Amino acid sequence: MCKVMIIDDESAIRKLLKITLEKEDLGLDIVGEAASGIEAINTIDNYKPDIAFVDIRMPFMDGIEFSKLAIKRYPRLKIIILTAFNDFEYARDCIGIGVCEYLLKPIAREEIRETLTKLMKEIKMEKKEEEWEEEIEGSSNSIAKIKEYIVINYQNPEINLSSIAQQYGFNPSYLSRMFKNKTGIGLNDFLTQYRMEKAISYAKKGKLMYLTAKEVGIPDPNYFSKCFKKYTGKIYSDYSRSSLFE
Amino acid sequence: MKKHMVRRIKNWFSSQKLKGKVRYLFLGIIGLYITLFIFIYIFFIRKSMLDYTLESNYNTMISIGNNLNSEISTINSMSKLLTADSNINTYLLKDKPGTRYSHNAITSMYDITNTFNYVSSVYLYRLDGRYVHITNGITIVNQYILDEEEWFREIANARGGYILGVNGRGAFFRKSGKPLVSFMRIINDIETQEPIGLMVINLSDEILNDSYKDMTSNDKQFYYYDKNLKLINQIIDSKLESEIVINNKLFDQKTIGSLWNEKILSYYHIPNTPFIIAGIEKMSYMHIIPSEATWIIVLLIMLTIISLILIGLFISVYITTPIERLVQSMDIAKRGWLRRVSLKLPDDEIGHLKNSYNNMLVAINQLINELLENEKSMQKAELDVLQEQIKPHFLYNTLDTIAYLALKESSEKVYDSIETLGNFYRRFLSKGSKVIPIREEVAIVKDYLKLQKLRYDDIIQDEYDLCEDLLDVHVPKLILQPLVENSIYHGIRLKGEKGLIKITVCQIDDFIHIVVYDSGVGMNKEQLKQIMQDNNKSFGFKGTIERIRYYYGKEDVFEIKSEEGLYTQIDLKIPL
Repeated sequence: MCKVMIIDDESAIRKLLKITLEKEDLGLDIVGEAASGIEAINTIDNYKPDIAFVDIRMPFMDGIEFSKLAIKRYPRLKIIILTAFNDFEYARDCIGIGVCEYLLKPIAREEIRETLTKLMKEIKMEKKEEEWEEEIEGSSNSIAKIKEYIVINYQNPEINLSSIAQQYGFNPSYLSRMFKNKTGIGLNDFLTQYRMEKAISYAKKGKLMYLTAKEVGIPDPNYFSKCFKKYTGKIYSDYSRSSLFE
Repeated sequence: MKKHMVRRIKNWFSSQKLKGKVRYLFLGIIGLYITLFIFIYIFFIRKSMLDYTLESNYNTMISIGNNLNSEISTINSMSKLLTADSNINTYLLKDKPGTRYSHNAITSMYDITNTFNYVSSVYLYRLDGRYVHITNGITIVNQYILDEEEWFREIANARGGYILGVNGRGAFFRKSGKPLVSFMRIINDIETQEPIGLMVINLSDEILNDSYKDMTSNDKQFYYYDKNLKLINQIIDSKLESEIVINNKLFDQKTIGSLWNEKILSYYHIPNTPFIIAGIEKMSYMHIIPSEATWIIVLLIMLTIISLILIGLFISVYITTPIERLVQSMDIAKRGWLRRVSLKLPDDEIGHLKNSYNNMLVAINQLINELLENEKSMQKAELDVLQEQIKPHFLYNTLDTIAYLALKESSEKVYDSIETLGNFYRRFLSKGSKVIPIREEVAIVKDYLKLQKLRYDDIIQDEYDLCEDLLDVHVPKLILQPLVENSIYHGIRLKGEKGLIKITVCQIDDFIHIVVYDSGVGMNKEQLKQIMQDNNKSFGFKGTIERIRYYYGKEDVFEIKSEEGLYTQIDLKIPL
């Protein structure tokens, strides 16, 4: 089974793609969706996809930027760029950064099948050679350093489990497990928690949501609001409004 | 009718080319000159000449009469010498004059008459009818003339004086037919004073001819009439003779004939004679006018014509021909070639005209280029907007959205979406016209927003506040949609919250205000400054403003207000 992640800012297209892939029955598992590159960076470590569909045009972090990061952090990740024909200039950049598959919109099932079949073969070959997980020992005092790193860099939207793991020479899964063992909370959750606490303090000051989002390293306000709601159980605007009246 | 003619001539003249006008003007001037000359000639020169001729005629006539009378008094003297001659008296007094006496008388007559002119023959009659004579040429004598009492009495009644008559009043005539002027008198005895004879001196008509010889010329002829108004010595055109009417006045004259063939007829009763002298003079003005004057007039006319021709040449060389060439060159512009005239023209007003024309052409070409550039950039801006929307991105994404709807939602919703998409593109292309009513602009935006709402999960709320009266005003097409697109992508979507887009169309003073408001992230001052810069990504805005500016020919067509994090409002001011 190959794990697939769909990153597109239009929910209808994500859903369409999902339905299409399910109907094709290629032995794929759609493990996750993201409505922006920012969301994807924050969630990709949870899904660990083999293949990612990435829309080339997205706000806050477009498909190219995301792909650059992703290729650096997940060398085995197969990226399929979704593009409309007139974005060809854009698409050429993809070749420059090592992405070699792209699909033209509107989506044609035939093309999807061909591309996916080809990629799945490649993935099978690679998986035989080495496993996704590879344990690397790390010292426990690294945890404090990592926490410090997060406190310093939480505003950088590009950091996530993988980037931190890479930074400190850990295998991401290992780091995740180790971090949870030592601290009782996942690294990603820790990062989000830190960001949300910051956000709450901004919200209390009545700062506009999109600015707060940018401030705490989740410049996609849509994803930010999702995280905020999940974390606090409240809508940001409610939070900031109620805090204004206090 | 007259007015009509004048107008026609006027129209004809003004329709002539400049060259033709100058030509006709010169012809007119030359004609006027000649007419004026003729007029002056007729009414001034002719009149004075005629007066002069008429006056001199009388003197001429008197002088002819004097000539004749002086000759006749010479003859009278001669006749006295004859009557006093002893041989003649002897012949007349002798009862029976023998051959000797008559011979003596003839000798005396020869001797005396020899020295006098004009004497053709002399007849000396005794009262008994015998006579002696001397003659030059053959003279036929009426033998019985002395028996005619009346003839004799008339001479006798002169009482020692003489009487004159033509051909001795019927007593003589020459065989040659030439008339004779007879000088006749009674001879009285010196002592008794009783008539003893009769003397007739026949004079040749030379005496008459010589009296006017000095006065005749080709144009002036004289004729003698006797007291019976019979022409004496000459032959005359019968038509002309009928014109000569002589009455009892001593002197009279009149003019006959037309302007160019004028004759003056005159007559004069010569005193102491039974003769009337008549004169016919042809008025020959060319003779009267001195030839020098004629030459001067001809010269003046020639000079005038030459100077007119010179002026004409000057006008032709320096004015009409350059203008004609200029016009020919300028005519090229008619065919749409705004090319400058490259002629070599004198550096005068016409040269300046050419330069001005060329300068004008340069200016026109510049203007055309400017217009062309403006038109080009306007079209480019319009095309950019079209491309931005027609580009597959919007269409393909929308199609995918609709594809999803088809799989998951009701067919009603799919139908609705496809209809909206169709409507949007139909209006968007708007049959290629450049301007469309505001109503259509709003409809495009409504469809557009409907489709965008499908794509972006209802993050957009739209509101419209439209003044119905203004919706049929035409504006350049697609000025609203690019602004709304900016509101979505650069305003609302970046905010992560549901946003409002409000379109307002209203009138303030003489302007239609089309306002696009969005509650998006807004702009800070720097962004506001950058929005009109060329390298700005949201060229939809810049292109739209440029098009409105160009279309209405004014710079001040919009106002932009924004507060960071709160809203952006673009207010288009369209002149009514």
